[in-house]
Amino acid sequence: MAIVGLESKSAPQASLADSEAQGLPMLEGHTARAFDGDLSALHVHAVEMGGLVLDQVQLAVASYADWIRMQAQLVLDRERQIDAYDRAIEEESLQVIARRQPMASDLRAVFAIDKVVTQLERAGDEAKKLALVVLTDSETRGFKPGYAMARDARQLGRLVTQSLRAALDAFDRLDADAASLVLRQDQEIDGEYAATLRRIMTRALEDPRLIHGVIEAAFVMRSLERIGDHARNVARQVLFIVGH
Amino acid sequence: MASVQTERTSTPRAGARQPAVSLVTERGKTVGTTAVENAIFKCQDVNVHYGDKHAIKDVTIEIARNQVLAMIGPSGCGKSTFLRCLNRMNDTIPTARVTGTITLDGQDIHDKRQDVVQLRARVGMVFQKPNPFPKSIYENVAYGPRIHGLAGDRVELDEIVHTSLQRAGLWDEVKDRLGQPGTSLSGGQQQRLCIARTIAVNPEVILMDEPCSALDPIATARIEDLMEELRQSYAICIVTHSMQQAARVSQRTAYFHLGDLIEVGETDRIFTNPRHKLTEDYITGRFG
Repeated sequence: MAIVGLESKSAPQASLADSEAQGLPMLEGHTARAFDGDLSALHVHAVEMGGLVLDQVQLAVASYADWIRMQAQLVLDRERQIDAYDRAIEEESLQVIARRQPMASDLRAVFAIDKVVTQLERAGDEAKKLALVVLTDSETRGFKPGYAMARDARQLGRLVTQSLRAALDAFDRLDADAASLVLRQDQEIDGEYAATLRRIMTRALEDPRLIHGVIEAAFVMRSLERIGDHARNVARQVLFIVGH
Repeated sequence: MASVQTERTSTPRAGARQPAVSLVTERGKTVGTTAVENAIFKCQDVNVHYGDKHAIKDVTIEIARNQVLAMIGPSGCGKSTFLRCLNRMNDTIPTARVTGTITLDGQDIHDKRQDVVQLRARVGMVFQKPNPFPKSIYENVAYGPRIHGLAGDRVELDEIVHTSLQRAGLWDEVKDRLGQPGTSLSGGQQQRLCIARTIAVNPEVILMDEPCSALDPIATARIEDLMEELRQSYAICIVTHSMQQAARVSQRTAYFHLGDLIEVGETDRIFTNPRHKLTEDYITGRFG
């Protein structure tokens, strides 16, 4: 159940067996054991997709802040994998509904996993936008962030990836407390986003020649803030699954 | 949840519960609202014993007019037993002892003055296996009104038979062969004939004990469609093993477990967000 790309950074992952010991909801324990497998596979694949999206977001922030075209290209190339996950999980969800007719928490889980996947796919799209800023720039347009703007992007990116990681962790363990924490911390991202926008706008006022870069930076920050929103929505779906 | 599957019925209640079964709410404490507006049946602390076996334990529930109430639960949970309490079908079992209060329209159905035949006309029943009388289609439907004296003459009786078959959605299929035996019909048609027979005596409540379990999906769909129409005029209680059917046809669902009424509530909620763990485990297929 480890999230791809998270092994070294996230807190130790609780297995599904642990979640039962903690009284957390389970996707297993059906009389028809094959149903356990179908539902768990669906969940695992969504968590894997989450790991990939998280990695994409981290890479995209670094490619913008450190201005590394190779990394931006990698983000763009891996976008196809996210689309593939999206399609595969959608197909799996349909199969589970058609074959198993899930009810109650199972039904909520299938429904919510589908929504989580949509959120992850959109977060992936935002990461792609960052990568495209790096890839489509030329020397004349001046999208490359200066030291201060790069620092702002890194800072907001750090908050957003923390939030996304925490949301995915809560989703992996179906942990309502962890999901609630993500929701509470969302305000911090909003505050940081507003402050960042003010700072970069001030820079544009100080030196109008920076206007292209500042506008592009504002879009980048907006993308990051949206990724934070998607993380928050993932956390909401966790609460929906556990019935809060 | 393995321990829930064992020791389903015969153990004495006090102190004999398996750990997981202790999840059952306190005796007689059902999760959800047992009272309803426009109640036709009010059941209070109903207990049923079959000899030493305590089959229904302190069940309190009200049943509303113009609604379908689905009763679900694993085999042996008491749902059929409870259904049979409502028209005193348990009276026919010598070892059965029913206590508690059941009122139909405010009248105690166990009152000494209650005529059981009359009660069963007001509270009709449709069984798992279609059981038409070995008589003609016409006679199957006409029998009840005739013995209850509901028709003054042949014209009135014809009218009742016609209306009942029409309401049961069978008229068009049998109007040209009313004299043929009821048993000559297909399973689904026989079940609709039994429904016509039930509604011919103008009941207030229709009890259905797994009415579709012997039918194919098309015949089942017709019966379910019919239930939706019938509930405009009657209260309907259905016992079903198919949770999909309960979800499709009912407005309220009651979940029984080991003779306890564990949870009752709006069907919309029970199948998406049940409150009791036992309900959740049963409807998600984790035991039962």
